[in-house]
Amino acid sequence: MIGIDYSRAAVPVQSGTGAAHENTLRALAAPGAWWSGPERLAIVREARAAPECPICRRRTRSSFATIGGIEHDGRNGLPPEAVEAIHGMRNDSGHLTRRWFDHVIAAGMRPEAYVELVAVVASSVVVDTFARGVGLGLPDLPPAQPGAPTPESSKDVVDAGAWVPIAREGRFNIIRSLAMVPSARDLFFGAFDNSYYRAPETRFALARPQVELVASRVSALNECFY
Amino acid sequence: MSLRESAKSSGQEADLSVVTGSLSDRAGVPHAGLLVELAEAVAGWRWKEVAALRNRGCQDLGPQATSDAILVASGFNGITRVADAIGIRLDPHTADASVALRANLGFNAFAPPEKWERSEA
Repeated sequence: MIGIDYSRAAVPVQSGTGAAHENTLRALAAPGAWWSGPERLAIVREARAAPECPICRRRTRSSFATIGGIEHDGRNGLPPEAVEAIHGMRNDSGHLTRRWFDHVIAAGMRPEAYVELVAVVASSVVVDTFARGVGLGLPDLPPAQPGAPTPESSKDVVDAGAWVPIAREGRFNIIRSLAMVPSARDLFFGAFDNSYYRAPETRFALARPQVELVASRVSALNECFY
Repeated sequence: MSLRESAKSSGQEADLSVVTGSLSDRAGVPHAGLLVELAEAVAGWRWKEVAALRNRGCQDLGPQATSDAILVASGFNGITRVADAIGIRLDPHTADASVALRANLGFNAFAPPEKWERSEA
């Protein structure tokens, strides 16, 4: 067992969730497609630190039109555009705009690297939120695995009006969203699938309307239109 | 986003105002008030509140259902960030499943045109 021990949680945790979250932590420490293991862990640490960023606390919605001149209080050795992307996602994702994204890319980040960064941040948010929610501390991060990233850029994607190309096929755009980097897609949905009706074996002790209520309330709270 | 539809399929009628915060005792979903409070506290990382609500949940919902509510809230705390950071558009399947919710509760206000306006070259 690495990083997380749900047997000590204040409420019972289904075994599939524990296994999925352990796998996520392990994967976060491994080299990805565009970021190394140490860099991916630095992204997680930056996401964890982001709520304390004084720049973000003073930020207004209009500031997401540009990232020029913004210097965050990042301390994890990541490039400024990566820190900006992490803080934006972690602290106010509902107010991100295409222009903000364009500035992140213009500052030097490849779209594929951005997609992987999104998956890393969102995966860590899922696991960290649940661990804290069931009464535990933030999970310990495993040691970073050595090795260089293995670049991926799927050709099976299409411009569907999102900020990056998404999967050519699929009913739901959210499921198509990370397809540009397949390993990033697998990372995020590996963390997420037990949280909804995505995994075939998923069973909740809540009725479906109760599950939808919780999901809808969180979407509204985060000002997510989707 | 299919709260109304799933509630109807369970023989209930959901009061969608619970979703955007105007909590009603007649939400049509069992323990709606507690679930909304728990969802808000979890997504807002308000851990002291979560601890208190978790205890209430264990009594009113049961320990496993409380854990599952925290799990769903945690998952959506992540996936909403993916949707917002990738700038995906609404697809027909999701739109069809959430017409009432969007119309009644203003979810469309979370998608202003500037979200997709490009920088000038």
